[in-house]
Amino acid sequence: MRLIAYALLAIALAGCAYFENFQPPQMPSLPKFGSSMEVTVHEGSFTTIQEIKTKRGASVWLVEEPSIPIVSILMSWPVGSAKDPEGLEGLASSVVYQMNEGAGDLDSLAFQTRMRELNMSYGCSEQLDRVRCSITTLSENLEQAVDLVTTAFKSPRFDDGPFERHRREDIVAIQRRATSPPAITNEILNEVLYPTHPYARIPTNESVAARTRELALEHKDKIMTREGVIVTAVGDVSPELLAPMIDKMIAPLPKKSSLPDTSDVVPNPPRKEPIIAELPQPQSLITFVGRGIARDDPEYYSAVVLNHIFGGGGFESRLMKILRVEKGLTYGVGTNLESSLKHTNLWAGSGQTKNESAGEFIDILKSEMLRISTEGVTEDEVRKAKLYLDGSYPLSFDSNLKIAIQMLGVRELELGIDHFDNRSLLINEVSVESVNRLARKYLKPENFTFIVVGEPKL
Amino acid sequence: MMIKRFLILFICTISSIVLATAQDEWRPSQFWLDNGMEVVVLPDHRVPVVTHMIWYKVGSAHEAPGKSGIAHLFEHVMFKETDDIGPGEFSSIINDIGGRSNAFTSYDYTAYYERVARQHLGLVMSLEAERMTDLIINDDPEGPFISERDVVKEERRQRIENNPSVILWEKAMTKFYEDHPYEITIIGKMDEVAKLTPQDGFEFYRKYYSPENAVLLVAGDVTEEEVRELANLYYGTIERSKTFDNEMPWKKVKRIQESSTIVHTDPKVRQPQWTRYYNGTSWLEDKELTVSLQVGLSVLGGGLTSHLYQTIVEQKQLAISVGANSWSEHDEGPAFLSGSPVPGVSIDELADAIMAEVNKVLAEGFDEQDVIRVRNNLAANAVYLRENQQSMASTFGRARAIGIPLDDILNYADLVKSVSAEDAIEAVRKVFGVDANYIETRLLPEGEW
Repeated sequence: MRLIAYALLAIALAGCAYFENFQPPQMPSLPKFGSSMEVTVHEGSFTTIQEIKTKRGASVWLVEEPSIPIVSILMSWPVGSAKDPEGLEGLASSVVYQMNEGAGDLDSLAFQTRMRELNMSYGCSEQLDRVRCSITTLSENLEQAVDLVTTAFKSPRFDDGPFERHRREDIVAIQRRATSPPAITNEILNEVLYPTHPYARIPTNESVAARTRELALEHKDKIMTREGVIVTAVGDVSPELLAPMIDKMIAPLPKKSSLPDTSDVVPNPPRKEPIIAELPQPQSLITFVGRGIARDDPEYYSAVVLNHIFGGGGFESRLMKILRVEKGLTYGVGTNLESSLKHTNLWAGSGQTKNESAGEFIDILKSEMLRISTEGVTEDEVRKAKLYLDGSYPLSFDSNLKIAIQMLGVRELELGIDHFDNRSLLINEVSVESVNRLARKYLKPENFTFIVVGEPKL
Repeated sequence: MMIKRFLILFICTISSIVLATAQDEWRPSQFWLDNGMEVVVLPDHRVPVVTHMIWYKVGSAHEAPGKSGIAHLFEHVMFKETDDIGPGEFSSIINDIGGRSNAFTSYDYTAYYERVARQHLGLVMSLEAERMTDLIINDDPEGPFISERDVVKEERRQRIENNPSVILWEKAMTKFYEDHPYEITIIGKMDEVAKLTPQDGFEFYRKYYSPENAVLLVAGDVTEEEVRELANLYYGTIERSKTFDNEMPWKKVKRIQESSTIVHTDPKVRQPQWTRYYNGTSWLEDKELTVSLQVGLSVLGGGLTSHLYQTIVEQKQLAISVGANSWSEHDEGPAFLSGSPVPGVSIDELADAIMAEVNKVLAEGFDEQDVIRVRNNLAANAVYLRENQQSMASTFGRARAIGIPLDDILNYADLVKSVSAEDAIEAVRKVFGVDANYIETRLLPEGEW
């Protein structure tokens, strides 16, 4: 929030050839034992993961990387903003905001000053289905960094100063949503996709006003628990050193919490006509959303291949080739499989084009959907998609933080420690037939709802 | 859903001059090929991956009058076609080896990069060498050059014209850099971009794209010897073009002659923003001042522990955000103060409060402990920089492209630790002193000024 202006400025400074798209990140196993903990070693083709069971029973995946004196620790809990109580939307965000805003004897300023003294970073964030905390420190300061975070987990202050400051920031953020194309798109999508599901609930002036320090503190204990936590770590630290530190951090958390389960989304039928939100600007943001595929569906990787061919593969995708390279209608267009939400699966895409060409842009999107769903893909397209999806995987492991994030993602989705070893095989098994079956089922133009924000000429 | 405080690293890659490395045993190497091409190797053996970058010492500052945007449009055209690489084949080859590639253009440089598994380093060198010498620019009036020009126009709309705050930033920079080669935004003026021709592209290519005008940077799981061998094989055989005369457009940025205010209103604005740009400095103009200023601006307005944040946001509760920052390329960039008021507080009220606090700090000086903390943070960035291969490669590549010696980057931690509280406050007094002229910008909702 405070830094948005500078981020914009930075974006304006440089031009790029195109947007970089990200693809996620392979590994076997040997057991070994530490003093009072268990360590199982999984030797993989990219990296070696040590699976640690701490004395207190926490499970930690560690990749030791001694070449740079840094340690990154990530934690995740399976409770996110979708479980904010009704009328208190934004409560989880309030909890994570306060987690580095003062604890124990340290008020907000003293806590932040201590982080600076230690040259460390630590903060938490929330998503729909989970809360994550991230700690990065020089290895020489690891112990003090862990002590500071322990204090924050044990006795966060939630003082009036930072609590009210966050409320002020939220009120401004709500105002800004009214003219932000992505926020406008999101609100329309919530209405279209799951109007009554908790995923559709977002902070309002009323829910932000209703929030109290006591409610937030209470909610913190429902999110951050010992039994719920998943931990990954990468860096210059041994299992022997790390395990007791993890135990120390989670010791003050309540054992478990009971929040009612959220039901799955019952999908609404797609809208026949594009939904238009007028906003005075030269370009229209065009978003299209349809039904997606579950992460545990046996044909998931066929969908990944299909997505790469259709709109996920940068310059190699059909949409980029026609809409950007051939027609010059956009700086970038892309699609994405959203299969990591607990209660629904989506297939979504977006691109921006000048208002005058918004109609042509949508027509081409629909004709490409029709073409891929009726004519299918070629053997060569599938071959090339596999080459990229398999071959680029190591690029997701070339920094400590990236490795920690990859492992956390695998743990959150319960894909298993052998995911890194199996992925290559699963991609290479994908057949043209299964890709085409999925194209017929999922990429029909009538499956998608189109949302346009701008002043489109349709 | 926003991650609250992790944007900082991204900003630094653009705004601060260098972050450096301090570890004794780790050292990059640097050498030159016979044709004048500079080579820098940054070892990172954690994963069998390499980042290969070519930095051409040409950017928007080199553009001829009326041809703004050619440096950036040409960057796009470099992905199109060569004698040996057919249309669309470049990205196809990178796809097939599981690589990623992209490029970016600035005032002073244009950089192209590929991130690939280490065994493909020779292949990407052959691709880059090919397009350094044998690019084909299609001159069909309805062909790929023209459609790419349309892409850049869409890019300009997306990056600038859709965003009131960026439109205002562009106006301010145009004024700040009046009669300076950075005057026009890197992406160019819409009407000038619309008139660029394949011939403009070809002339630009012939003049500036040559080995003696390029820096090769390879970071990752390679040794200096491996890179030396491959670089000689693929780039070493390219002859100097002799078209590049080493004439750089750089010049001193004029002092702001008189203070002024630019107001921009837009119906999309929901949150007013206030900024004051002052003359700053650059690494190559004054290294010591640049580093002192980095420390000083951070103590004054860098983050939650800073003077401005604590008084304006925390105690007086006048703003949602406030800050003091600076950036530069080869030539000077601005140092600036900025803030965004809470609902119910006017821009005037906020501006007065920020300036009162700045003047108070300028009069009273900095606390020694605040300065020590900040310079330790900046020095620690030297270690953190090595964590991300791509950021590390970009930091070193950018420095070499604009002429910052490698040792400056390697000695950054020592340099920043030598900044005293007095140096830091003097640097801030120099840029924000009461006599200093400024360009103020106000971004307001429609009908509110």
